[in-house]
Amino acid sequence: MSKREGSLPPRLESIVYTADGDGYDWRLAWGIVAVLLVAIPWLGAGTFELRILIGVLMWIGLAQSWNMIGGYAGYLDFGHGAYFGIGAFVTGIAMVSLSLPFLPALVLAGIFGAVFAYAIGVPTLRLKGAYFAIATWAFAEAMRQLALLLDITGGTSGLTLPSTMAAFGIPLPDLPRVIYLYYIMLVLSVGVVVLTYVLFEHHEFGYKVKAVRDNEDAAESLGIDATRIKRQVYVLSCTTAAVLGGAYAFYITFVHPQEVLDSMITAQMVIMALVGGLGTILGPIIGGALIFLLDRLSALYFGSDTMYISLMGLLIMLVVLFAPDGIVGLLTGETDASDIRSNLNSLLEKFKFQ
Amino acid sequence: MTETVLETTNLTKRFGALTANDDISLSVDRGEIRGIIGPNGSGKTTLFNNLTGFYTPDEGSIVFDGTDITEWEPHRIARAGMARTFQIVSPFRNMTVTQNLLAVEAPDSIEDKHARAREILEFLEIDHIADNEARGMSGGQQKLLELARVLMLDPDCILLDEPSAGVNPALEKRILDHIQELNDDGTTFIMVEHDMDVMRTIADTVTVLDQGQLIAEGSFDEVTGNDRVREAYLGREVDLEEVLG
Repeated sequence: MSKREGSLPPRLESIVYTADGDGYDWRLAWGIVAVLLVAIPWLGAGTFELRILIGVLMWIGLAQSWNMIGGYAGYLDFGHGAYFGIGAFVTGIAMVSLSLPFLPALVLAGIFGAVFAYAIGVPTLRLKGAYFAIATWAFAEAMRQLALLLDITGGTSGLTLPSTMAAFGIPLPDLPRVIYLYYIMLVLSVGVVVLTYVLFEHHEFGYKVKAVRDNEDAAESLGIDATRIKRQVYVLSCTTAAVLGGAYAFYITFVHPQEVLDSMITAQMVIMALVGGLGTILGPIIGGALIFLLDRLSALYFGSDTMYISLMGLLIMLVVLFAPDGIVGLLTGETDASDIRSNLNSLLEKFKFQ
Repeated sequence: MTETVLETTNLTKRFGALTANDDISLSVDRGEIRGIIGPNGSGKTTLFNNLTGFYTPDEGSIVFDGTDITEWEPHRIARAGMARTFQIVSPFRNMTVTQNLLAVEAPDSIEDKHARAREILEFLEIDHIADNEARGMSGGQQKLLELARVLMLDPDCILLDEPSAGVNPALEKRILDHIQELNDDGTTFIMVEHDMDVMRTIADTVTVLDQGQLIAEGSFDEVTGNDRVREAYLGREVDLEEVLG
């Protein structure tokens, strides 16, 4: 990790800065977070708090999953929500029609996600920019219409999944179901984040992905098979979305096309990654948590989603206009006060009458 | 005895009505430094793109190291040992210098990529900026980074598109010295270069293109003395009396 001395507030700095002066020791900070996350159900968190946390974790995982293809690889996938829905439906069908326990059903969800992603990725990854976005969006819409028509997906009435932990696949002690669901989501989400961190930040694979994003021709000229790399990232990111969709189905116990294949799901992932910071490991974590909580809070105070959507619109405008590197860009100093000022000035310039 | 490393036969590439490479047959010996010159739009960069798989020629064939690579994709050609740089530098901006090198799909013969990267950076004397992000580097340093990345492929043949363009004289000399040094170790170079002084000092053989065609080949002095070459660069000499009557 590169040294970014002086970019943290002094109080935070004293906590995570090591005495040997070799940069921040993030391990300590992450260690504390990890212990807290594992211990929280035993520290007095009730069903309400755990449900909020399950939501936070799931959206962090989903935002990170989108960040793989959208941020690190720079491919605007506007159909990513389809894989969340595919995962949810495959889990549902496996548990209802095949009477499989949750764990094998979740594996099937991942496999189906990967197979669909490969089949869709081969033709669509040849497209660039807006064309890729439109193609993937159309695919997602097609999946939603298909799920509404088919019998196996329950059509317009959806699927109802078993709601006891007996369907988990392994015998478990008798604890409230929400605690298990919290741990399932914790393992999966942390898994997605760690996988992203290792593969994209600390592995040659990630360097190749960024190389293809920055300059595909140069990458090819250096022996990198750009088509293959893009396909790998796409399959990986879609598979993780499908697995999270499977876990969501088991959590909610009801799968309906208008819900799990709603285009808002993709929109949320994109917004979270964008607001947090595209192509960074911390961006989707910050963006996912912040925006999910904003959503819940606005539902609590304004009673509907209408206000949330306008708030999102405002937030996206602010980020795109003033801090294109997202919240992470602000924290690391990539975007500083003078950048914001010059962005504001150039914006005001456009409103001046000649 | 000289051995041919690269050979093109009747290479032709058309863009609509324009024939950017017209029936080019050339052969490059192993260990040679080949200069490619010609006026703007004569087809030099198109030739590079044909050779490295970025274009598929309409006619003709390319044989590299005894293998027909005409239809190969760029990454496959790079891995086979023919590497290139671009006229416009293209560092991977959001990565450090070392990460730029580690991104390269090096051949299996390189066991320790980190060690190889360190060696190359030391050789090119840019090891002190190994951990700097590429986007903060000067234009000259970016040129060196491009050369460093290419060396990660351990190539037999390197195609350089204007290596000294936009580089200050001191750095230009450094780059040329490195090229000479690598060449002494057996690496073949094919260079597009506008700076004729550079060509005179470094190129063993010079190939001249004009309007997509190969019009002359030989030592620097031979080709610059050639009438067709002078014509391509300067235009035809006219007898004023004849024209004016």
